[in-house]
Amino acid sequence: MDFNGLSIDQAPPISAPLRFFLAAPLFALFAGFLILFSDSGALMSRYSMESIVVTHAITIGFFGFVMLGALTQMLPVLAGAKISNVKFATKYSHLLLFFGLIFMLMGLLQNNTLFSSIAVVSLGSGFMMILIPIAVAIKSVTNFTPTVKSMANSITFAFLTVFMGLFLLYSYSTNNISELHATIANIHSVLGIFGFAGILIIGVSFQVLPMFYVAPKFKTFCKKRVVWLIPAGLILWVMLNIFNDTYALVAKLWITLFFWAFATTVWKKLNKRRRPISDVTVWYWRSASIFLTLGAFLWIFDEYFKHEYIVMVGILIGGGFIMSIVTGMLYKVVPFLVWFHLNAMGYIQIPTMNEMINKNLAKLQFILFIASLIGFIFSFYEPLLLEISAVCFIISVAILEFNIVAPVLIYMKIKKTEPDFDMKAFATKES
Amino acid sequence: MSTIKEFLSSDHGKCDELFATMEEKATKSLKDAKKACEEFIKESERHFQMEERIMFLEFETKTGMTQGPTAMMRHEHSQMRSLMEQMKEAVEAGNKDKFFGLSETLMILNQQHNMKEEQMLYPMAQQHLSADSDRIVSMMESMIVE
Repeated sequence: MDFNGLSIDQAPPISAPLRFFLAAPLFALFAGFLILFSDSGALMSRYSMESIVVTHAITIGFFGFVMLGALTQMLPVLAGAKISNVKFATKYSHLLLFFGLIFMLMGLLQNNTLFSSIAVVSLGSGFMMILIPIAVAIKSVTNFTPTVKSMANSITFAFLTVFMGLFLLYSYSTNNISELHATIANIHSVLGIFGFAGILIIGVSFQVLPMFYVAPKFKTFCKKRVVWLIPAGLILWVMLNIFNDTYALVAKLWITLFFWAFATTVWKKLNKRRRPISDVTVWYWRSASIFLTLGAFLWIFDEYFKHEYIVMVGILIGGGFIMSIVTGMLYKVVPFLVWFHLNAMGYIQIPTMNEMINKNLAKLQFILFIASLIGFIFSFYEPLLLEISAVCFIISVAILEFNIVAPVLIYMKIKKTEPDFDMKAFATKES
Repeated sequence: MSTIKEFLSSDHGKCDELFATMEEKATKSLKDAKKACEEFIKESERHFQMEERIMFLEFETKTGMTQGPTAMMRHEHSQMRSLMEQMKEAVEAGNKDKFFGLSETLMILNQQHNMKEEQMLYPMAQQHLSADSDRIVSMMESMIVE
């Protein structure tokens, strides 16, 4: 049995997750500005370059960065698994992903094949540098709980999504678009959203909802089945999509059904939670639940309308579901990490978690974010709404970055002072 | 009789319930929460001592690991004790913001601590101490808090 997660000096340094968390809103900010200055017509097609760039600024830049950063932190606690050489892996993968993504976004926007080629190498090596150590760490886990299983599934889908993404980007860099391009792009997006992000969120929520809100635990039956029923649905969908598209809807219904059930379960669990607090993180879980339900049904509905609504589905599920959850969790995780690491270093006089982030600013951020999502959806009918929604989104993301930077600044400021206690005596290397 | 793992895990649940009751009362008025706060701290202290004075000692003697996981768990207990002290002071001072700030921090610290124990340390302890499981559980049940 691995006890590495139990020792503070073997837990990841605070810089491991924070470097990812701090960079994530910058890409969302870029996406916001691109929406603001793009033609609304271009954004209505999922295959326009603007749409592809906005999507990847959010999916790789925001979701990917936060989730990879969070995984380095969650694995020791939720799975007792330690990522080897975590400092090296996070530092260099972060650098490669950060610049790789910038090259990718610029390469696609300007049709610059050199930039796209650099991005293929940089993103490919960046993803491998972090995904492989995560996969190896998961493999070492002996207590394979449903959460660990979902992490393993999620990482498997992450590999598939990355490989397909690299192939697609390589096609752009060589200006050689294959016949299968659209099919692969479709599979790539579904596996990334539902397979990597969706399954990870579900698996983590098994632990997080009872843990943060004292909500009733998920039924063992649900936990055990869901971790393989969703991947099975996704694999079936991929197969049907390639070999027999006519019946792909069956698998789509299968996947949708479980995600909708999850959304409903989250809502019900929150209603039954024992903790009375209703902070912005609870609001984010609730908004995620609503948007996921709407997005899941629209994904099915879209099938009958020649995929006219697919971008709207992307906004509902990507923005409304995943971005809501990820943002909400940042509000919990960042101040806790700051408190935890400072306390472990012997500081006692630390602001409480609630004092690190201004509650009113967090609420304003939430309201602007939700307003921007609703605006984006209705901009399909009223294009004038697009600009104002983009402005709301930009301000909301800027506030989010500020709300993450604030606790980090507190950390840096306190760290410069002398600790209240000398904690060196507690430093244990044994495992 | 329940195993060490079952016994201590269910005790975590009991403390969580008391924590939730305390917060529920504190939402209405901090004054009303005083008793619930004391009760939560008392039960948590009892839990810490059952581990530190009985189970951890048995585990350390059996495995020879004195600077490993149990040392880390003791350290986290001391972090939680310090937060509980500060919470008590916040209740006395009637400072609701401070109280909820501390309770939020304690909640997450406590939960991640419990998770490490329930998923790693307790199964390990159960494995090493299975022959003495009944004796250890009954010692923990009858322990008098110092």
